[in-house]
Amino acid sequence: MAAALTNQLNALVNNMFAMGLLDDQFQQLQILQDSSAPDFVSEVVTLFCDDGERIICEIARQLEKPNVDFDRVDSYVHQLKGSSASVGAQKVKNTCIQFREFCQQKSRDGCLKTLDLVRTEFYDLRSRFQAMLQLEQQIQACYPKH
Amino acid sequence: MRPEERKGVVARRRDQFPVGMRGLAVDDDPVCLKVLETLLLRCQYHVTTTNQAAIALKMLRENRDMFDLVISDVHMPDMDGFKLLELVGLEMDLPVIMLSVNGETKTVLKGITHGACDYLLKPVRIEELRNIWQHVIRRKFGNRDRGNIDIYEECNKPPNADSDHVHGHVSCVSPDQSGRPSKKRKEYCSEEEDEGEGNTQEIDDPSAPKKPRVVWSVELHRKFVAAVNQLGIDKAVPKRILELMNVEKLTRENVASHLQKYRLYLKRLSAVASQQVSIVAALGGRDPFLHMGAFEGLQGYQAFTSSSALSSFTSHGLLNSPRNNPASLGTQGVPASKSIQTVNGSHTLSHSISDANKYNISLPGSQHGNLGQGLATSLGQTQMQQKWIHEETDDLSTILSGNVLANGMSSTLQNVSPLLPQELVECTQAKIGTQPSVRTTSVNSEHLERPVGVSSSLLDSHVSQQSTVPLSGFSASGLLIHGSFNNSCPTKLGGTSSACAPARSSNDLMVARETKAGASSFGGTMLLPPDMEQKYLNFGGGNDFKQKLDERGADNLIFDWNSVASSQLPSNIGAHHSVSQRWNNSNSNRSNIGARMIGQTSSNASTVMPQMKTDLFISGDMLMPKNVSDLSIPKLQSELSSSSCSFDGLLNSIVKVEKDDVTFSDDLGCGDFYSLGACI
Repeated sequence: MAAALTNQLNALVNNMFAMGLLDDQFQQLQILQDSSAPDFVSEVVTLFCDDGERIICEIARQLEKPNVDFDRVDSYVHQLKGSSASVGAQKVKNTCIQFREFCQQKSRDGCLKTLDLVRTEFYDLRSRFQAMLQLEQQIQACYPKH
Repeated sequence: MRPEERKGVVARRRDQFPVGMRGLAVDDDPVCLKVLETLLLRCQYHVTTTNQAAIALKMLRENRDMFDLVISDVHMPDMDGFKLLELVGLEMDLPVIMLSVNGETKTVLKGITHGACDYLLKPVRIEELRNIWQHVIRRKFGNRDRGNIDIYEECNKPPNADSDHVHGHVSCVSPDQSGRPSKKRKEYCSEEEDEGEGNTQEIDDPSAPKKPRVVWSVELHRKFVAAVNQLGIDKAVPKRILELMNVEKLTRENVASHLQKYRLYLKRLSAVASQQVSIVAALGGRDPFLHMGAFEGLQGYQAFTSSSALSSFTSHGLLNSPRNNPASLGTQGVPASKSIQTVNGSHTLSHSISDANKYNISLPGSQHGNLGQGLATSLGQTQMQQKWIHEETDDLSTILSGNVLANGMSSTLQNVSPLLPQELVECTQAKIGTQPSVRTTSVNSEHLERPVGVSSSLLDSHVSQQSTVPLSGFSASGLLIHGSFNNSCPTKLGGTSSACAPARSSNDLMVARETKAGASSFGGTMLLPPDMEQKYLNFGGGNDFKQKLDERGADNLIFDWNSVASSQLPSNIGAHHSVSQRWNNSNSNRSNIGARMIGQTSSNASTVMPQMKTDLFISGDMLMPKNVSDLSIPKLQSELSSSSCSFDGLLNSIVKVEKDDVTFSDDLGCGDFYSLGACI
């Protein structure tokens, strides 16, 4: 049971790497997770999922305003870039880089388009992350607590 | 008992130094903060986190002793990371590492110019964080000598002590790296720290209520000078000065000692000044003392900032000149500049020095190469402007008080050497028929410039025909020196405060070389340079100069140097003599002159040397029982004393020169001799 779940988890994560959703920063996080920080990856991923969603909502709200404050948008995108970089969410991070260019050009259309893109990517990643976390929980549930 | 107590105080934190280093992590991004925290914990640091810069600042203000290091994100909504950086830099002396996803050069540069000791890009790697403790050491090195050394020792320990730990990696790297870079940059950090003293004292000798150390900071020295001026130098007695200064914890003894040094200093100055009185008057009656004061401030600042231990000596004048080459340069540079001005009405050491300072200020964190270029250009300009000099000198004091003298000095040294050739040409002609004092000063001065100037003057006056050849020789020598500086000096000087010793040594060596080069060119013999080089190598060999060349840690150099000095102190004196003799030999043409030089040196030595020797021996004694690290301080003393001696000797020699009408060559000889002595 646990083994099957683990296989499933590994396949999921490997797939995420293969798709370019994740980069080696995520591996770094995995390496960091040990007995001293047993839930480190799931904590970071959860933070990322929550915070990313918040930021994306914020960006969307900013872009809805009649007079878009692109500096403001840019700082949000920058933040998203930071957290996606920290979690190893490569694809989201790369999209953020594009996004910032549109911010600098003050292109509302560009921003909106990229926002859609980044949103899609983010939610895709988030669902995978959530699946991953679920699997981890199930796996942990299989083992009696130490 | 004392070591035990010390350990007791510091144990928790320093025994395994990088372990348990207290870092404050600030990032508004929870993901980054979480990752950062975990990474820091993994490095076995003690971590406090906050997601608001304002809170971070509050924490720092309330418990400034609770943190060793701050790591802050650049972009934060409540407060810009740069702002935090600035405030932390202003209010407390903590190394701040900036963190950002944004690696644009502009932003990074902004971080550095705002005082960040490092700028890391997200996502941060644990490898990068494993090294950040070095910034703490650096900062501490800047603050205090003793403390530094302690920490340095601690750092050296980890390999054995903590090798089993995760941070064993760190330890592998640390012993080497910790020392070097820390000294290099120490200067930057050193400026701000005057308050750190309190801690140091307590930590360093908790059991010893002996003499509280006094750091004669620029500020303190200014007060001192102001008090002395108010009283009049003749009527200034320690007690009254102390009253006028109104500084807490300063004792009459402190003041007395400082006054003594100051008087010596003034005496030396007056020797030079007397020769230049007319010139000075012509120049607008600038008071040489004032200038000296400013420079002294600089010197004092460097010397004192560099180490609290040094402060215990409180010997101001001595410390100044001997202590750091830069400082000594400053002092000597002033008179030299004046003389030059009189003669030529333009450029010189003072310019370069001032430039360097300015330059430093503008680019505290910049690299040597850049500095060198900048300086070169600026120097070229300076030559053109007389006013500059004045302004610069004036500015220097402020600048110095403000900051990174050491850096500036180092850069100056580097830059100066290349410039010299050009200046020489100009100077030479102007100088011909100049006063001996000018030359002497130049010779004496440990800077490349001065030697060059000297050489040039020599060439002009004496060897007009050879001028081209000698010049080339000089330039070459300058280049050589330059190279050596690049390798060793910049680092050292940069590292100045604690690294002073190494810097000095390198400088001295350099000087010696230059002088010799000059001599060789003068006499037409190429033998000397090689000799010098050998000498240099020897010294270096003893000291691990090679490591310096490798741009290794200033620490190593310092320690080595110290050790060498301690061991070789007696022998060094002998070495000086030999060197001087060599010089004589090389100058077959001028053998007579050489002899004269010797005579002079000896005579000078009679007056000055005694002090030197005593100091040296004392230092030697002190050194022997202690650890290598401890040695550095006494060493510094000895160096200081020696250098001061050299300075005195130079002055003396100048005077004598006047009397005897000895030629430039004589001066050079003296300069060499003394510089070598300084090398010791």
